[in-house]
Amino acid sequence: MTTLNWKEGDLAYDSSLFVRGKGHFVDDLKIPGTLYMSVLRSPYARARILSIKGGINGSELKAKMASVGEGADPSQTVSIQPVFATGYVNYVGEPVAAVFGDDRYKATDLLENVEVDYEPMKPVVTIDDALRLPPIHEGMKSNILVQSSRGSDFKDPDSPIVLEDTLENERVATNPIEPRGIVASYSDGMLNVWVSTQSVHSIKDGLVESLGLRPDAVRVMQTDTGGAFGSKGGLYPEYVIASYASMKYGRPVKWIETRREHLSSTNPGRGVRGKVKIFAERDGRIMGLKGDVLVDAGAYGTGIASFSAGFIAMMMTGPYSIENGYVIGRSVLTNKVPQGPYRGAGRPEASFFIERMVDLLADELKMDPADVRLANMSDKPFTSPLGMKIEPAKPFFESAVRELEYRREAKLTNGVGLSFFVLVPAVYPGESARIIVKDGMVKVWLGGNSHGQGHENFARKLVNEELGVPESIVTLFRGDTGMTLDGVGSWGSRSAIVGGAAIVAACRKIKRKVEKESGNYSPELLLSGSYDEFVYEEQKIPLNSFGANLATVEIGKLGNVKIKKCAAYYDVGRALNRDMVIGQIQGGMAQGIGQTLHEGLYYNDDGQLITSSISDAGVPLAEDLPNFTVKIAEHRSSLPHGAKGLGESPTIGVPTALIRAIEVASGKRLRKTPVTPEELIQ
Amino acid sequence: MHPSSFEYFAPKSMEEAIGLLTKFGEDAKIMAGGQSLIPLLKLRMASFPYVIDISRIEGLDYIEEKGKFLEIGALTTMIEIEDSELIKERYRILREAAVQIADPLVRNRGTIGGNISHGDPSNDMPAVIIALDGKLEITGKQGKKVIDADSFITDSFTTVLQEGEIMSKIMIPVFDGSSGGCYIKQKKNAGDFSVAAIAVHLSIDKEDRVRRAGIGLTSVGPRPLRAEKGERFLEGKRINDSVAREAANIIVSESDPTSDFYGSADYKKKVLNRIAVEAINTSYERAMVR
Repeated sequence: MTTLNWKEGDLAYDSSLFVRGKGHFVDDLKIPGTLYMSVLRSPYARARILSIKGGINGSELKAKMASVGEGADPSQTVSIQPVFATGYVNYVGEPVAAVFGDDRYKATDLLENVEVDYEPMKPVVTIDDALRLPPIHEGMKSNILVQSSRGSDFKDPDSPIVLEDTLENERVATNPIEPRGIVASYSDGMLNVWVSTQSVHSIKDGLVESLGLRPDAVRVMQTDTGGAFGSKGGLYPEYVIASYASMKYGRPVKWIETRREHLSSTNPGRGVRGKVKIFAERDGRIMGLKGDVLVDAGAYGTGIASFSAGFIAMMMTGPYSIENGYVIGRSVLTNKVPQGPYRGAGRPEASFFIERMVDLLADELKMDPADVRLANMSDKPFTSPLGMKIEPAKPFFESAVRELEYRREAKLTNGVGLSFFVLVPAVYPGESARIIVKDGMVKVWLGGNSHGQGHENFARKLVNEELGVPESIVTLFRGDTGMTLDGVGSWGSRSAIVGGAAIVAACRKIKRKVEKESGNYSPELLLSGSYDEFVYEEQKIPLNSFGANLATVEIGKLGNVKIKKCAAYYDVGRALNRDMVIGQIQGGMAQGIGQTLHEGLYYNDDGQLITSSISDAGVPLAEDLPNFTVKIAEHRSSLPHGAKGLGESPTIGVPTALIRAIEVASGKRLRKTPVTPEELIQ
Repeated sequence: MHPSSFEYFAPKSMEEAIGLLTKFGEDAKIMAGGQSLIPLLKLRMASFPYVIDISRIEGLDYIEEKGKFLEIGALTTMIEIEDSELIKERYRILREAAVQIADPLVRNRGTIGGNISHGDPSNDMPAVIIALDGKLEITGKQGKKVIDADSFITDSFTTVLQEGEIMSKIMIPVFDGSSGGCYIKQKKNAGDFSVAAIAVHLSIDKEDRVRRAGIGLTSVGPRPLRAEKGERFLEGKRINDSVAREAANIIVSESDPTSDFYGSADYKKKVLNRIAVEAINTSYERAMVR
């Protein structure tokens, strides 16, 4: 048995503990006899490994990574990442060996005892390199990981206006306040894993596949998770190594990521370029759109890149009724850490491409950008040629223009940007929930795991509404594969939708049982009995929703941007908890500002990471942020609890509004995030 | 933080500290506020077998006017400079530079002595002390000596300090009523090191001509620079915008920035030019308020 310093009550998920410094994070877990793990990482972007001596390395642990979690692509075979680099290293920060010590100092000291001989090779660093140079992996014909298309090619319309541009989002680190971390403890034939994650089920599936374990011999438990933003949804090499080492040494193994490791070795997001061509009439109507999307996948196909190319392509017409569309999406391999999802995960990229083009069209036609948008909207539902279904966009946009006071701002300010988007939440294939009623208390588990969103708020509220019991007796527990048979994860703006629907379904199932037993239902009857229900509630209908943002800026003479206003108007469906909704929007707006002005991961020609500190990677600080204006529309969804998606909306809508505001204020056409003072200095 | 192991000493007196530094030689490193050293140690970018924490030495934490000099003890923290009434009223440029250093957490611990002695060309205080024609007191085995602040930092992260020496005091000539200065710093993000920064300090005569100009530059060379040609150019002149612009061009010609992640060399020169014009004009306006 493994002895923890946590009691059962410490396993509850209660976000009010975080602000009081009383969370239970993975590094807070103390198990006697723990070994600390340090990972020796590749100093080269690309090199042949001539020899490795010391530590656990690829000659001992030959496992391969499993593609699990958000945007997983199990079909990839050639470009699967090995847990330890074998034969070659393919990015700076790739695990080469691991060492173990009785404390973290000793574990770090032991790194010096591992000897590796490398023969450096010329790396493939940029998207252009990837298209031009021979493939980085043997057995591939080129560096193109996937190529797909959306819509069908069409003859160029005979339109008077044809505009083409190339637009780009730099890679960004996810940079949650808590980096990654894991404790693996193997005893009595059972591998127990505690991990900071968005999805215990993905991690379990990954470990089972990678190490060839029996599913019933692995239990993955979530610790309080201090942010993730996409980066903690899937498997990482360190998790496999720590688990293997615990099985080998028969001791618990702890690994806590440093910030430097996070920047070099945790899957970052964005890193996408789009070449877009639009055909338009003089009244602003866009008759057709063609696009070529290139995703910088990084070194292996185990990230999200093979999914994101097609996903971005699908969303490229945005909320507009554009009748002709054809977009090619390609993901290419480079000698950089594999790309992963980052809050938005393809949605902000697609929106950046279409919104930048609409603004360009407005400038070309000398029309107000809001009017160009209106010219491309419908009062009716629309299915885009790229395969995206949207509700009538026009009524929402018209109210957004009013709510955001766009017309007034446009008159008053030289430097206003307006954006409009459709959020496509990742509802498929649904989510699981388990509810246990016992001893007068209600305990809830969700398949997808809160990493700061505060899922306990909607869990309590929905149980209260469905079962009539007070919220105070309802407790949400952190994710635990020992408590839920199956589940998905928290990402893609999905949890209130699918997690909420699963709770409602589980409540109704219990209610029916009470009714069956007693002939009627009351909370008292419920609490006097014992019930235990698990449901996996499928959800296949997309619940797309609209959002709009407004930003105004001033630009200093040295090119620094001062944000004056940053406002949002989103359809969040029924707001299950208004404070949490507003908080989530504000946090996302800060991240949208970060991507636009501050954040980027830069590599030099040798593939070395230049931005290896958090200050260089550039998170936004309080001084950089304006007061946010948040307005919400509550158009209920078709689900019983009325929820729609929200989490990613601000990272979709803010960059496009903000970059437009900067473009207007500076008079310079802007094509790329982040925008730097160097570009804007007069 | 998980640095390599080191032995830690916290001497209570200068004598004791100098003794330890002499004993351990190059294996020892002085720590004051730790705001530069600790990041290096924790990332294992540097390791020293012996760390001599001088922050507990009494009597090195003061700000006072003494005869011809404003004297600041080397262990005075940035926040103390920020909060000092004397500096707020009479040495505005020092406060202007102090409040722009990193963030309040760093300023609470970071000392002026450490800011200068680290020899980082991006640290702000050296340029300010250069512009103010400051002097530095160095304490060693043989006692104390005073040198010009210009000559203290010889190259990136390199100073004139010899084995067993500690920079113990910063001395700034007391301002008379007809002088004024300012520090302007361009940063990409809040809390960053500068892309470029400039300290200008002007003393004027009764006819409003510049009697003495002091100009120090941050982040635009391998070490903090004095823009001597710019100083000579301004001296004897009344300042107007065209004089300031001409001086700025000269100052830029004395800088030597390199292209890096923070910006291209050309961009840094462009920034330096803009902030030089503004710093000269502002300093002159302040000097004119007698």
